[in-house]
Amino acid sequence: MASLNGTLRTLSAARITHVVGLPDNTSARLFDVLQTHPSIRLVTVTREGEAFAIASGLWLGGARPLVVIQNTGLLESGDSIRGTAARMAAPVPILITGRGYGKMAGAGLTPNEPRTSDLLTRADVDSTALLTEPTLDAWGVPFERCEGDEDPAAALARTIQAARSQQRPTAVIVARALN
Amino acid sequence: MLTQAQLLEPLARHRTNEVVVATMSVTRPWGRLSDHDLDFASADSAMGHTADLALGIALARPKRTVICLNGDGSMLMTLGTLATVVGTGISNLVLIVVDNGTYEITGNQAVPAAGLIDYAAMAEAVGFPRVLCFDDPRKYAEAVPDVLTTPGPTLVHVRVEPGSEGPIGRSAEEPARYLRTSLAEWSRVLRDALEGDPE
Repeated sequence: MASLNGTLRTLSAARITHVVGLPDNTSARLFDVLQTHPSIRLVTVTREGEAFAIASGLWLGGARPLVVIQNTGLLESGDSIRGTAARMAAPVPILITGRGYGKMAGAGLTPNEPRTSDLLTRADVDSTALLTEPTLDAWGVPFERCEGDEDPAAALARTIQAARSQQRPTAVIVARALN
Repeated sequence: MLTQAQLLEPLARHRTNEVVVATMSVTRPWGRLSDHDLDFASADSAMGHTADLALGIALARPKRTVICLNGDGSMLMTLGTLATVVGTGISNLVLIVVDNGTYEITGNQAVPAAGLIDYAAMAEAVGFPRVLCFDDPRKYAEAVPDVLTTPGPTLVHVRVEPGSEGPIGRSAEEPARYLRTSLAEWSRVLRDALEGDPE
């Protein structure tokens, strides 16, 4: 199992106070570790849209939250992001674990494919990955993608810094294991 | 059943330094009764997530009570929030469900199962340590001081007559100060007001 030391160091260096979200197989170990973390409080939600409103409230109260969700949960969170963090200009960083990116690459596809019905219904393609980046674009959420040999901890640090400097929700899509 | 004024006026009389987060039909009426930097209008729509926003403030400021004036339609959109609140273990959130049985700002169309839902029972089943239900204005008014000072989290289900509030906007013509600025600007007002609280 991959070590999470890099990710945890990034969270501590950025003085993250709360991680708000729902686990998937990529983030599960992070959630496990945060259950007993001495300085970062874990807030597990029942549905991802909650996470953005809670994180926005945390920021209102002076805390420094991070949202951690899978891209499937991102797709259900639209009006929560728009009506809270984005409208509030709240610097909420988002770590999105990227379901379906492996399948997408395996099928020789990229996130920029035309979103035709034929493509979105193909059995060998997970449509979640195809829709994630266009959705973030449509919602005005800046993002970077971290895959392959790229360092997720470094990408997360850049995302947190970008959210704070630009005063807006900002995302990193992690399409590989956390380190 | 209470009128909207019978719901809000006792709250305004007894409120001291609590954060008050309002949404939907009570947003303007609360802003007419209260002009406080600790008021927050969740008036830009977020599909029922106002209680989550209030929960976030309560988590960040555990020494300060946060009151959420939520609609029944909004509550129905995010019932899972009741479990999330309990899961956090906080004690400083008062979640008031303003049950008028309708989507008032769109013209009072009935919510699903209007008049049949027992929000207090729901909250109790999820594990809220303190739940209250009122449809008598006198009993409600008498209970408000205790509601504001007893540790929770507390869910207060109040049956209220439907009113005639229209869609909520933000403009210089709004009577309530917290609706005369953008959400981004008012967010900084509230953050400044909370700065210096013990964490």
